[in-house]
Amino acid sequence: MCLRKVYDAIIIGGGVVGSSVARELARYHIKVCVLEKEADVCCGNSSRNTGVLHAGFLYKTGSLQAKFAVEGNAAFEQISKELDVPYKRTGKLTIGFTEGERERLLKLKSQGDRNGVPNLSIIGRDEIKQVDPNVEAEFALYSPTSGIMCPYMYTIALAENAKLNGVDYYFENEVCSVKKEKDGAFSVSTAKGRLYSRWIINSAGLGAPTVAAMLGSAGYAYKPVKGEYILLDKRAIEQIRVPVYPAPDEKGVTDLHATPTIDGNVLMGPTCNDVVQSCDLDTTADSLDYIVKKGASIFKGMKTEWIIRSFSGIMPRFVERGTSGYLDFLIEHHPDNPNVVNLLGMDSPALTGAYPIGKYVADIVAAQEKLAKNNSFDPCRKGIKKFSEQDVETRCEMIEQNPDYGEIVCRCEYVTKAEIVEALNNPLGVTSVNGIKYRTRATMGRCQGGYCETRIASIIQESKGLDRKDIRLDNSRSYMFTGEVRESCGCSTKTPSL
Amino acid sequence: MTGQLICIVCPAGCEMTACIKDGKLEVWGEKCKRGLEYAEREFTNPMRTIATSVLVDNGELPLAPVRLDNPVPKKQIFNIMREIKAVRLEAPVHIGQIVLSDVCGCGSDVVVTKNVGRAQPRL
Amino acid sequence: MRLLNKDAVIIGGGPAGLAAAIQLKKNGIDNILIIEREKNLGGILRQCIHDGFGLTRFGKSLSGPEYAQIFIDEANDLGIEALTDTSVINITYGKVVTAVNRGGIFHVQSKAVVLAMGCRERTRGAINIPGARPAGIYNAGVAQSYINLHNTMVGREIVILGSGDIGMIMARRLTLEGAHVKAVFEAQAYPSGLPRNIEQCLNDYGIPLYLSHTVTKICGRRRVEGVVVSRVDSAFSPIDGTEKFFSCDTLILSVGLIPENELSLMAGVELDRRTRGAYVNDSFETGCSGIFAAGNVLHVHDLVDFVSIEAEELAASAAEYVSSDCLPKASIVVVPGRNVGYAVPQRVSGEKNFTLSFRVKQPIENCKVTVSQGGNVISEVKMRKAIPANMIQIKISADRLESGKEIEVTAV
Repeated sequence: MCLRKVYDAIIIGGGVVGSSVARELARYHIKVCVLEKEADVCCGNSSRNTGVLHAGFLYKTGSLQAKFAVEGNAAFEQISKELDVPYKRTGKLTIGFTEGERERLLKLKSQGDRNGVPNLSIIGRDEIKQVDPNVEAEFALYSPTSGIMCPYMYTIALAENAKLNGVDYYFENEVCSVKKEKDGAFSVSTAKGRLYSRWIINSAGLGAPTVAAMLGSAGYAYKPVKGEYILLDKRAIEQIRVPVYPAPDEKGVTDLHATPTIDGNVLMGPTCNDVVQSCDLDTTADSLDYIVKKGASIFKGMKTEWIIRSFSGIMPRFVERGTSGYLDFLIEHHPDNPNVVNLLGMDSPALTGAYPIGKYVADIVAAQEKLAKNNSFDPCRKGIKKFSEQDVETRCEMIEQNPDYGEIVCRCEYVTKAEIVEALNNPLGVTSVNGIKYRTRATMGRCQGGYCETRIASIIQESKGLDRKDIRLDNSRSYMFTGEVRESCGCSTKTPSL
Repeated sequence: MTGQLICIVCPAGCEMTACIKDGKLEVWGEKCKRGLEYAEREFTNPMRTIATSVLVDNGELPLAPVRLDNPVPKKQIFNIMREIKAVRLEAPVHIGQIVLSDVCGCGSDVVVTKNVGRAQPRL
Repeated sequence: MRLLNKDAVIIGGGPAGLAAAIQLKKNGIDNILIIEREKNLGGILRQCIHDGFGLTRFGKSLSGPEYAQIFIDEANDLGIEALTDTSVINITYGKVVTAVNRGGIFHVQSKAVVLAMGCRERTRGAINIPGARPAGIYNAGVAQSYINLHNTMVGREIVILGSGDIGMIMARRLTLEGAHVKAVFEAQAYPSGLPRNIEQCLNDYGIPLYLSHTVTKICGRRRVEGVVVSRVDSAFSPIDGTEKFFSCDTLILSVGLIPENELSLMAGVELDRRTRGAYVNDSFETGCSGIFAAGNVLHVHDLVDFVSIEAEELAASAAEYVSSDCLPKASIVVVPGRNVGYAVPQRVSGEKNFTLSFRVKQPIENCKVTVSQGGNVISEVKMRKAIPANMIQIKISADRLESGKEIEVTAV
């Protein structure tokens, strides 16, 4: 199938930032599509982070990071309701013991105050215990507006809402080249075809410098830094109530820490190591060992039998051309290239700031194009109703309406067949096992799919009429099976339930 | 010629030593008669049983497990597998049902080891 | 919402659950319910199509499904009620079991609860193998389910990590189905599975077994492309400079089984860190009155024949509990001593004969197992070789026991 389409705006990169831009542009009358190189929207950094809703005190006053963190934090209550995504304003403790750390925390508090972060305070031992009785520290910077969210659910929700409001999503469409046509429009080539558009928004995450060069802004570079995490069993959450960060060191680096997740797990990490290639997502023995050893000394819940799995993310640390100093977000919109917006350096707090970033970019386009508002834009999107979160009466009603709710598929996370089927029929058309994982949490439990994966594969095959050979873990190269043990000659697509 | 061998007849997995002395096989370390028989065969004509699956049409399961009801010469295993792979059964199938009689002339039948009923029509 | 009342609820219709149910019925307990989450009874035996089951119990070498069918038939003949396609989602200390199926949610108030949920496999994530997270990494039991139950082939060029029985069985299974099993790697200096399986699953097919080796990295972003393997020292640390790349498209993991006790914890059952199963007494009763455990959920077994016996012993006690609400108090602690990894039951009453089950920590030649109490030898068994892969069971007579003093089991 050769893709050949014309749009008013193409967004390159469907992560949390790109999908937020898509959703904000959908508020106007403008034909938009998102080109995403992976098979789903949350495969890059959007899912590879701690899932923290930052308060905004970590960022230089006057920076875009500070501005968007504070705005995104304040707006999240509303966003989470509209998009039906979970979040919790847990507050956060940044703890310290030494005088040096106290100084640095005081500086952070002042910075936060200037940035407009509400209710920051330095608290002592007793008050710390009231916030989280597990925490031992002399003092802490307490930020009550900090919180936790599910980064991949948020990204998926943004994308689904954008899609339902008319944005097209094309997956496994990595952009290979961009050419400016005579009429000023862009022709964008991917492996699957060519699309034309007046505007290009570059929100390609780690690929943004490469795409920026294609768009005429060469010379940007990232200094890729790998952060590795270990995910702990839900039992570890008995040892932690709120995110607890150590005070940054003299160089401003924060060492690894434990963070409760919105789903009830605990994340240990991230580590922080320079890497050569920004596509090197392998976890490493050294970092994992470090997390286990150091983690055990700082967090009581760090027990090896509670380790569920590990993963890594590459932080797109943005480097000034010619130097190595880290920079602020760069939202480049140059008069020489008026129909291009490059989003560079979308490291933390781009997750927290995704909504105001999206709005900022959409406003640029809307102002320049004098776009009319799309009155049929619906900001609300409903997520998949979780059987596991309902009370008994509701669960009974759900089963009565749809007996598929009575079939527990993922026993670790209590995900039912009805949810798996709903996830498979998602608005974005994603049919991979990981797609189901991110939308339902199936396979994320302690058995890592040991019980449910065979069932999920059968449901995918049944529901979508696929051959076993076509079932994918994530993108089209991640085949799970090589075929049948005994060729049934494809005589029927029956898959008896087991 | 001496050889060490592990008996596979039962989970005890006794370690035995066998050697050919004056044209006769001598065995040490066996704990039971079956072990001795195993050792004797292993040196002359090693025998094995295998288990695999056959395709079932219209069954509540796509495959029925089968096994050999007697050991066969080890060297015939893949020939036997070839025969079994060509089999296609129609549900229902029952435990004990003979799928292939005296497969490859090795003195063993291939028998079904699980009941597979007929698939229920989908609503 | 339905509320049922039962004398005994058995959670899991695998070999332990079936044997327990049958024995309860034979002991006069009629009002029994088996709750099984799969469509059919039989538990893990449904997918264990290889033979070797039933050698001690029936004197025959049966496949898993055949062994299970004997019990399923007997349970049917005895009119034992079983609910399949039904998942238990909660158990309380007060023995209210909550279950869900397509018909809805129901609670069962039971006099006795038998935990027979079996075990799950240790995962790649849990053992922290570094590298990529591609498709093509399968636990051996999952691969077995795909191949034997779902008619689905998982790969072509296979590397197996772990010489546990399941891994070796799958090495043979995959080879018979045309895959190329390149090697089995085992971190320990000795195999974790039975010697007969090394012989009939690996040696028979020329599959090499590398002891003291482990996988230190998984390569391949989307689908497995290979693994890096290193030699390890006695502390299981990879030795620098011994890394070797093995190309493959599939990594099968057979790195241990963990009793599946999530439901047990909900009821307040205390688990033994060594077995990851419940602390039980010589009635197989956990620390929660009227909640019993047997089979793989209590401690991982090698032979299903022993699971059935254990479950039957449990049932005899559970029947007594249901009838009289009273079991002998177990206050004698059983301690795993030198070279013994764990021992079950962890407490005994001293009033009845019991079977002591345990495993040695490492292979011991010319092993002398001593069960003693307060310095007095109660039982002594000599064996030519004791290995961790073989659970050892010793019958202990009540008349040899004194009250109050600890029992210790050692192996030298």
